[in-house]
Amino acid sequence: MRSNDVLGFIFAGTLDDKIPELAASRTTASIPIGGKYRLIDFVLSNMSNSGINNVGIVAKSNFLSLTDHVGSGGAYDLSKRRSNLTLLTPYGGKSFSNYVETIYNMHGYIEHCREEYVMLSPGNIVTNFDYTDLFDFHSAHDADITVVYKKGVIPEGYDRPITVDVDSDGKVKQIFIKPENTHEELNQVFGSILIKKSLLMDEIRLALSLNSLDIKRLLQDCVGKFKVYAFENKGYTAAISSINSYFNFNMDLMKKEVRDELFNPKRPIYTKVRDDAPSRYGLNSKVKNSIIAQGCVIDGEVENCVISKGVYVGEGAKLSNCIVMQDTKIGKDTKLNYVIIDKDVTIKDERSLMGFDSYPIYIAKKSVV
Amino acid sequence: MQMFPKQEVVAMLLAGGQGSRLGVLTKKLAKPAVPFGGKYRIIDFPLSNCVNSGIEAVGILTQYQPLILNEYIGNGQPWDLDGMHSGVNCLSPYQAIKGADWYSGTANAIYQNINYIERYDPDYVVILSGDHIYKMDYNKMLEYHKAKNAACTIAVIDVPLEEASRFGILNTYEDGKIYEFDEKPAHPKSTNASMGIYIFSWAELHKYLTEDAELENSSHDFGKDVLPAMLNAGERMFAYPFEGYWKDVGTIDSLWEANMDLLDPKVTLDLKDIYSRNPMMPPHYVSPDANIQNSLVADGCNVEGDLEFSILFSGVTVGKGATVNSSIIMPGAVIEEGANVQFAIVAENTVIGKGAKVGQRPEEVANRDNWGIAVIGENTVIPENAVIKAKEMIDSEVNAQ
Repeated sequence: MRSNDVLGFIFAGTLDDKIPELAASRTTASIPIGGKYRLIDFVLSNMSNSGINNVGIVAKSNFLSLTDHVGSGGAYDLSKRRSNLTLLTPYGGKSFSNYVETIYNMHGYIEHCREEYVMLSPGNIVTNFDYTDLFDFHSAHDADITVVYKKGVIPEGYDRPITVDVDSDGKVKQIFIKPENTHEELNQVFGSILIKKSLLMDEIRLALSLNSLDIKRLLQDCVGKFKVYAFENKGYTAAISSINSYFNFNMDLMKKEVRDELFNPKRPIYTKVRDDAPSRYGLNSKVKNSIIAQGCVIDGEVENCVISKGVYVGEGAKLSNCIVMQDTKIGKDTKLNYVIIDKDVTIKDERSLMGFDSYPIYIAKKSVV
Repeated sequence: MQMFPKQEVVAMLLAGGQGSRLGVLTKKLAKPAVPFGGKYRIIDFPLSNCVNSGIEAVGILTQYQPLILNEYIGNGQPWDLDGMHSGVNCLSPYQAIKGADWYSGTANAIYQNINYIERYDPDYVVILSGDHIYKMDYNKMLEYHKAKNAACTIAVIDVPLEEASRFGILNTYEDGKIYEFDEKPAHPKSTNASMGIYIFSWAELHKYLTEDAELENSSHDFGKDVLPAMLNAGERMFAYPFEGYWKDVGTIDSLWEANMDLLDPKVTLDLKDIYSRNPMMPPHYVSPDANIQNSLVADGCNVEGDLEFSILFSGVTVGKGATVNSSIIMPGAVIEEGANVQFAIVAENTVIGKGAKVGQRPEEVANRDNWGIAVIGENTVIPENAVIKAKEMIDSEVNAQ
C-alpha cells in the first residue's frame, strides 16, 4: 500500500479535560512544547515525512490557536496541489461529544477524500515515527485493522486506557479497556489506528444503529470479526495527558538520546516559522543544561529549563526547572523554581515563586505577577 | 502579452559580483549569499527592506556562482515575495537573437533586463546592492525623490572625515542637489558617502541606460558611466541623507566587525523584521559544562564548551572544553573537544579537530600588520591539534596540501 493512499485523521482535543490549565484556551494539540513547537507538530511532521498527503484535523472547540498555528499546512509541506490540510470543526448543530458520532458526522469529508485507508491519530503524542513501517506491516499481514502500541506503564490521565495482548506474529488476541494491573508494563494503544475507510464507516454506521457510542468497545468487538494486528512503536514516546507528563516530557529534552531521536535530521519536526533573531546571551548570563529557542535575551541564570522563543530573562534572575513559553518577560532578580509559565506573561522584578517537582506551579497566559 | 498589474516601484538588486575580497568565503557562493548574523544571509537585509518598504517586485541580478543564491531565494516566500503577479525573480545573463553577453557592468545588467522592468510599467526603479548591512525604509527616500522632483536620488551616509577618502563622496549644494562626484578623493570636500542605493525615475534611467549601451568605450557601470553622464547632462540629482547603522561587508575585516556589532549594545541595528529562510531545527541545547557570555546562538546548536563574544549559526556543535572567542561559526560547523577558536570565521560544515588552535589574539602577534582574522572555508577538516595562525585563510584545497 502506498502512503499517499492513506488519509491522516487527527483528533486535536485528545484528553483536553486532563490538562485543564494548558488546554484552557486551546486544544491539546496546540499546547506549546519543547521551546518552539506545538504538540500537533509531531504527528503532522510524521505523517508528512511518511508520505501522507492529505490530513484532516478534528477540533471541536477552542481551535483559534490551532488554526493560527497550522494555517493551510504549508509548514508541513501539506499545502500543495495534491496535498491538503483541512480543519474539521463542528457544523449544523450535530453532536461531536464522542468519537463514534464525530467520525460519522465527518463521513462526507472522509468518503470524499480519494485515499482508500485512514490513519486515525490522537493529538497528544510526542514521538518521531515512520508510518511507512506500519503500512508495510499492515500489507504484509493482510490486516483489516492495525493499531500502534507502546510498551510501558499507563501514564497518569488515562482513565480508560486500551491495552492489547498480541501473539508472536503481532496478531491481537484480546483488547482490554481499563485493565487492572496498570502498574505493570502493558501494551498501550494511544489511539493510532490504520483501517480501510469503507470498513471504518461500515462499523461506525453499525455502531450508531445499535446506539453503541463507545469507540473503544467497537474496537474490542472488531477482534473477533476482523484481522486485527498490533504494531509496536519502539521509539521514544511521550503521551501528554497531565500537567506532570507535560513537565516531564520537556525535562526529557535535556537527554541527548531523546533529542537525537526526536529531532532526527532525516525526519525533521516542522513547525510554523517565526522570524526570530538568534538568541542573545548577555555579559552576566549563566545557562546550564537547558533548551533555548531563538529570539530570547538571557541576562540571568537559567538551569534545567526549557525557554521558548522571544523570552526575556532579566539580570540577576535565577530560573531552575522551569518551562517558559513564548514572549514571556521575566524581571530582574526573580527566583523561579519548578514553574510552568504560559505565553505573554510578565513576572515583575524581584518576584519569587517555588513549586515542587511533583507539583509544578502553573502561571496562566498573559498573567502579570 | 501577459498583463501585469502596474507597480509604482521595481527594485533591482545587484548580486552578480564575485566578492573576491572575501576570499575562500565566496569561492562557491555569491557575496550576497554569505551567511551573516547567526541565521541570515547578507541579501536578507535589502530584501527585507524592500518588503518592509512596500516594494513588491524585486529582480535579483545574478552572475557569479548563483546556485546557492538561487536556491536560497527560491520562490521568495520567506520575504513575502511570492505574489501572484509580483515577487522576486533571479535574473541571470541570457542568450538572445543578437547573441549572448555576460553582464559587463552594473548598468549593463539592468540594461539587459529592461524587459523585466517594463512588464510592471513602473514610475521609479530602485537599484540596490547585495553587500551592505542596514535597515532602511526606501519609501521615505522615494518621498524625498518625489519632493525634489529628481531624476536620480542617491542615499548618503555621513562618515568621519578621516575615512571619507575610502568612499565615493557626493558634493552637494545646501538643498541636497549634487554638483560633483568624487570617487575616493585624497582631499574630501564633504563627508557624504554614497551607500550604493539609487532611486531613478524610470523614464530618465531608461534613456541614459540606452544611451550608455551605445557607447563603445563605456564600462557600463553606474558609478563610472551612467551617473556622471546624467550629471553632465544637467539632470536633477539629489543626495538623500540616511541616519542609522550601515556597513559595507565586502572584506573579511568588515564582515567580522559587522557581526561583532550585533553583540554591542551601543549599536543601533536590531534584527526585528529581517526575514530569512529558516532551517527546521530544534531549539539549541546548552550543557551543564557550557559557559556562554555575550554571544548569539541560533537553533540546532549544541554547546558544551565556552563561548564569548561569538556568533553561532544554526546547527553548530561546540564540544566539551572547547573555547570560542570573538569568532563567527557558520551553519553546521563542528568545534571538537578542547579546540580553541579565536578571532576567526569558520565557514559552513567545517570541522575543527580536537585540540586544534585557530586564530590568534592581536596581542599574541608581534608585528600588528601580520594580525588579522583567520578564515576557514566551507567543508574543511582541520586536523587534531593543528595550528592556524592569525590572518591565515584555509579551505579544503589548501588544507589538502
